Amino acid sequence: MSDINEKEIRLDRMRYVKNTASSRLCYLAILLNVFYFVSIYKSDVGSWYYQILIGASIVYNLLFMLMAFLSSEGVKNYQASYSKLLYALGAGQIARIFILPLQAHQAMVKVGGAEVAVMGDGQFIRVIIYLAGSAACLLAAGLINQRKCAALAGHLKTLEAKEAA
Amino acid sequence: MAELSLKHIDKIYDNNVQAVFDFNLDVKDGELIVLVGPSGCGKSTTLRMVAGLEDISRGQLLLDGKDITQTPAKDRDMAMVFQNYALYGHMTIYENMAFSLTLRKENPNVIHKKVLAAAEILGLTSQLNKKPSQLSGGQRQRVAMGRSIVRNPKVFLFDEPLSNLDAKLRGATRREILLLHKRLQATMLYVTHDQTEALTLADRIVCMSMGHVQQVGTPLELYDQPANLFVAGFIGLPPMNTWKARVRDGFLEGAGFTCPLNEKERGTLSSYAGKEIILGVRPEDIQLGSDVTVLVSNNENLGMNTLVHGHIGDASSADRKIAAKLKGWQDYKVGDHVSVCFARKHFFDAETTSAIRKEG
Repeated sequence: MSDINEKEIRLDRMRYVKNTASSRLCYLAILLNVFYFVSIYKSDVGSWYYQILIGASIVYNLLFMLMAFLSSEGVKNYQASYSKLLYALGAGQIARIFILPLQAHQAMVKVGGAEVAVMGDGQFIRVIIYLAGSAACLLAAGLINQRKCAALAGHLKTLEAKEAA
Repeated sequence: MAELSLKHIDKIYDNNVQAVFDFNLDVKDGELIVLVGPSGCGKSTTLRMVAGLEDISRGQLLLDGKDITQTPAKDRDMAMVFQNYALYGHMTIYENMAFSLTLRKENPNVIHKKVLAAAEILGLTSQLNKKPSQLSGGQRQRVAMGRSIVRNPKVFLFDEPLSNLDAKLRGATRREILLLHKRLQATMLYVTHDQTEALTLADRIVCMSMGHVQQVGTPLELYDQPANLFVAGFIGLPPMNTWKARVRDGFLEGAGFTCPLNEKERGTLSSYAGKEIILGVRPEDIQLGSDVTVLVSNNENLGMNTLVHGHIGDASSADRKIAAKLKGWQDYKVGDHVSVCFARKHFFDAETTSAIRKEG
């Protein structure tokens, strides 16, 4: 098989094979997000940051997981519009680093008379890794889906043109 | 090349029930063999032994001369199509067809080409993105066949693949299997209890009863020269009429009839003079004539033919029952008398039930 033929077959396979790469990246992003919120909730030391933001954070996490899961199903079937949602979710994950973890890292709280950081260095780095990893997965999933959708659309047009001819 | 040899195969279950007795068969390359027989005759067991799904108790199974009696099913290079399709409901048709190759970690592009080629052969190209639940029974069976084709096995095994389909679809799918066989030129073993399938599909038929092979031959041989009373009764619809009769002075005397024997028939029965035999006559070999009088009990018009059921003579005992397929549209009433003759007769030994053939 020549390289051109191989490429054509790879394109043609997309008509029947699901976009599992993007879909799996979405699942991984959800998993990393779970790690994130599990590790952030367990570090509750009575700070006002948690009292104010915890409810909103829970709601956002639920919404995030729902949207990411829906996106994973969408990209599985080569739906280009879900790429935009994935970019937005990815950007949101990056933005979240600066909302709760960064502020909690900078804030201090008195525990037993001593002032300690609400979020220590170790935990801060860990949650950044989780959020950044989740964001990277979402952005990659969106990008792969966008490229595959464009390639598939082009291939289908070629096939239609061939059929018409 | 795929030549299959079954040598003295026995199947004995753990409870000492023997399902298959001394099964011998040589299947040539590209041949379509149909195993036919009533339920429980051992045909599916034989097929499952060939597939490797049942152990062979005794005997040898050879594929292209290589002994595969103890080879696991996955290494036998055979594909089986089941009655219930055995498709994965959560997978698309494409994924179902590609599944076995995906498990073998074949190149995805090669899988794609094979699946598309198989779908093209089976007319499934437009259905590849659908789930099995969205297809008709016939289409599902074609998917099951497609799954076998992509593997390019040495031998295809079919276990009553059309039993779940309605009559019309069964006919259409049967023709598709025949076309598929002609196209692939593959060695196929096909199990059915439907004699119509057997007669229309087979290069050769293996007729089985109670675990024993009764006859192996072409469809015409089984129809025209049945080896024994069982084959004579099993092959043909309606089944062959059989009556006890005695050979006497160039005539056959039975309950309520006496019919003359021609020179060839006399030669065949030369060693049975004065003895009792079983006379067999196919309904379609009965014509209007003057040898036997039939008391009509039922008249079924089939369009081109009329199926007349009745009794020989005036008595209505079970051993005088007769079914005749007469040409044209007839309108006999119950109680009418019809005179018929037998255009072709089959003779069977009354003790062994084997066919009586002309010696030499």
